[in-house]
Amino acid sequence: MLFRKLIRTMWRYKAQFISMVIMIAIGVGVFTGFNMEWYSLERDLEKIWDATGFSDFRIVSEQGFSAEEAEAVRAIDGVDDVTRFLSVNATVKGEGDVLAMTVNTNMDVSGVLLIEGADYDAADGEGMWLSDQYAAKNGVAVGDRLTLAYKHFELSGTVRGLVKSGEYLVCLPDSTQVMPDYNTYGFVYVTPELLKSAFGFELYTQINVRSTLEKSELVRQVDETLGSTTLVMAKEDVVSYAEAMGEVEEGKTMGNILPVLFIAIAILTMVTTMHRLTASEKTQIGTLKALGFKNRRILVHYSSYALMIGLLGTALGIGLGYFLGWYIMNPSGAMGTYLDMADWTLYMPSFCWLVLVLINVFLTVIGFVSVKSMLRGTAADALRPYAPKKMKSLALEKTRLWARLGFGTKWNLRDSLRHRARTGMTLFGIIGCMVLLVGAMGMKDTMDAFVDTFYNKAINYETRVHIDSENASEEAALALVEKYAGDWSAQLGVQITDKALALEIYHIEHDKVRFVDEDMRIVPLTDDGAYICSRIAEDYGLEPGGSFTFSPYGSDGEYRVRVAGVLRSLSESIVMTDAYAESVGIEGRVSVIYTDETDIPADERITGTLSKQSIIDSFDTFMELMNTMVLLLCVAAVVLGIVVLYNLGVMSYVERYREMATLKVLGFKDRKIGSLLIGQNMWLTVLGVLVGLPCGVGVLKYLLNALAAEYELKLVLGPLTYGVSILTTFGVSLLVGLLISRKNKKIDMVEALKGVE
Amino acid sequence: MKIVEFKNVSRVYASGGHELRALDGVDLELEEGRFIVILGPSGAGKSTLLNILGGLDSPTAGSVRVGGRDISTLSGDELAEYRAETVGFVFQAYNLIPTLTVAENIALVGEIVPDMLSVDELLREIGLADHRNNFPAELSGGEQQRVSIARALAKNPKILLCDEPTGALDSETGVVVLKLLLKMAREHGKTIVIVTHNQNIAKMADVVIRVKNGRIMSCEEQSKPLSADEVDW
Repeated sequence: MLFRKLIRTMWRYKAQFISMVIMIAIGVGVFTGFNMEWYSLERDLEKIWDATGFSDFRIVSEQGFSAEEAEAVRAIDGVDDVTRFLSVNATVKGEGDVLAMTVNTNMDVSGVLLIEGADYDAADGEGMWLSDQYAAKNGVAVGDRLTLAYKHFELSGTVRGLVKSGEYLVCLPDSTQVMPDYNTYGFVYVTPELLKSAFGFELYTQINVRSTLEKSELVRQVDETLGSTTLVMAKEDVVSYAEAMGEVEEGKTMGNILPVLFIAIAILTMVTTMHRLTASEKTQIGTLKALGFKNRRILVHYSSYALMIGLLGTALGIGLGYFLGWYIMNPSGAMGTYLDMADWTLYMPSFCWLVLVLINVFLTVIGFVSVKSMLRGTAADALRPYAPKKMKSLALEKTRLWARLGFGTKWNLRDSLRHRARTGMTLFGIIGCMVLLVGAMGMKDTMDAFVDTFYNKAINYETRVHIDSENASEEAALALVEKYAGDWSAQLGVQITDKALALEIYHIEHDKVRFVDEDMRIVPLTDDGAYICSRIAEDYGLEPGGSFTFSPYGSDGEYRVRVAGVLRSLSESIVMTDAYAESVGIEGRVSVIYTDETDIPADERITGTLSKQSIIDSFDTFMELMNTMVLLLCVAAVVLGIVVLYNLGVMSYVERYREMATLKVLGFKDRKIGSLLIGQNMWLTVLGVLVGLPCGVGVLKYLLNALAAEYELKLVLGPLTYGVSILTTFGVSLLVGLLISRKNKKIDMVEALKGVE
Repeated sequence: MKIVEFKNVSRVYASGGHELRALDGVDLELEEGRFIVILGPSGAGKSTLLNILGGLDSPTAGSVRVGGRDISTLSGDELAEYRAETVGFVFQAYNLIPTLTVAENIALVGEIVPDMLSVDELLREIGLADHRNNFPAELSGGEQQRVSIARALAKNPKILLCDEPTGALDSETGVVVLKLLLKMAREHGKTIVIVTHNQNIAKMADVVIRVKNGRIMSCEEQSKPLSADEVDW
């Protein structure tokens, strides 16, 4: 019988029941979704790295390594396996696309995972194993022939298999590209046999190492073994690993922040709702007690109501979580366009289950405590209707302002203070809605400003031409600069203490490359010092006017330079003019030319070209994904706002039903009563917006730092964001107010005013 | 002068396939400035009569004219205006707004009536001038009921409708409230209609109407009504 009553109670308070279930479902969904995302990513990444023998260290030398040197490294105690490795950008003949042409002597290290076709065969003199993603985008199939051009060499072979590789998990041609674009860029493994027959000689610029040694220990041993200072890069310095693990970290951050907001709102709303529900059921609770039901039975009855809400919300939330997880983590989803993984299985971290159990226990306890407070005393006490707190005068009432306030304002102000929990929750809901809107739209503004500055203003060239700086003579390279009327840069690998960074030396004559300062303004480079990016400035506590020391890779030399300024930069780099570089004794050879010329014929001095459009296009995918996320967050904000405000609004309506009936009897029209109700919502919205706006900016700042430090973003909020987020929040509040005030027409004055207060 | 006229008024409530005839062809006329008591057992239809007269409910048949105006066909908003301008209501449960002080509960009327009576004068009249800044919960039941009467009077209505106004009060406090209501009729010319099942109150009335089963059983004029002090409570 009590169960039947439970079901009827649910039906009676269906608005509260449904909104609580929705709130918990959203909270649980966001919590499980984001946590599943990073956890699944971590496990699925592990799988592809294991399957392809992702290397822990890369020993780099432009001169190349011999088989003996590789064997010597293998013999180091603590080194598990090694391979000689080459990865250079080669052009696909007839297509103009670029592939990272990879040659590997031991596929157990930095190898591939076969998706389609034949297994890798080192003895195959024509064998090519192509990125399956590139093949899919470009209509290449197993059995097709490809010809690659690298410098003046040409390699022709047959695609034997389609593969994925941990080394190219994030497949980017260089650091200015943010997102992979398999239409124009991919990777291909060719056999050492094919390389040898095309080049006529062996060239492996890397030894990739699998080892559990510390980097410093390995460096020491490698230096000892190979007899010179060598550049050793740990996997953390490699884009694929750093970016993928960055995604995991970002997922953790998202999994820590957003769910807290949603779950906190859900739990706090539950506290308010359960209290109101048991308060309005107090006479029934008293009746059950008077009838002889034991307290325990009544407690179980009402606690199970809370538990039912929790379980239903959790079940729906887990479903939503899996959907959210799948939405981000699927081969064609947000992560799929970025990371080239083979397995996209979703896993729920075990702590999530624990948290879900705790949430349900907590919700049940909320129900338990709410009923417990109504059961205090004798059955006669329990039978008395719930009496809200007595009203006390406010400090404000002693001021002159109070006398000037209208009845509606006084009524609403006192009601808000009398029902502080409800008011607080309403405020929390409005603030939450505002924070999400400002955060989401601010993220878009910031990214739009970033793209506009970096891609539309800073990139003032049409084509970037990569020069074979090792083989082309300086005169020949400068002749190309002259020919294409371009600016040029030299790119060098350097390190500050142990950290690998890029040094970019620019010769700017035609304004083809521009630089962005910390305030997102375009600034010219001066010849009186080096410019560092914000991350370096922050990491090493450097300021303009200060100085620092760096050393080039593969050399014992050290350079002390003055900091001329701090720039926002995509790559973690040091930038200087060629004049300043010369003054401190650094020699840079032309490695990239920036030009407006779009038709660049093949040349042995040129290793590849990249158009501005393809850089921008690759970012479009990223922007599309971000726009979807922004839209999702805005929808979540509106749903959150509507659900929280509607639930609390209905509660407020029920609590003030008698007062509104009195007003109606006195002669107040429905519209007037409605405007009083909406007025309260509006005042709370004003307050919520005032608090929510700075909170939203704060959360956005935190997220930008936590999620996108690598883009060195400057927070930008456009007037439209202020306008839309404020108007949307007010709109939500007004909509809910109108929905609730529509109920005024149904107030039964006679019924409401019967009985004793 | 005739102020209220019920002509063949019926009120039928339909619930769950059953019909409940709360009023059944009631004909009634009330004179202005009288102290009228409607008596009857529970379920007799006396509150329905009062609710229809107060514009809280509408008849399903017949017509009700108040001050010459037919209120049985008014829309929701028109009924609200009628309640604001013509009638004042006093309930057994006081129904004061708990978040407004005594003075504010009365001043509230100013939101709907442009020329309401002075709050200070009303407070003096009901003897609660010292409690103007108290909240309802800080007053006794009798004091709350007096505030409720002051609020009803603040609109300066022609008719004051009271549904068991002393039902929740002890007899001593009840007398104070009844004296106040009588004063309103005698000194201010208000028409006071009280619904009650307390026979004693009827002794104070100019007119006593007895209701049973939704019909008027009798309507007697009392030539010598007693004062509240003369009634044996």
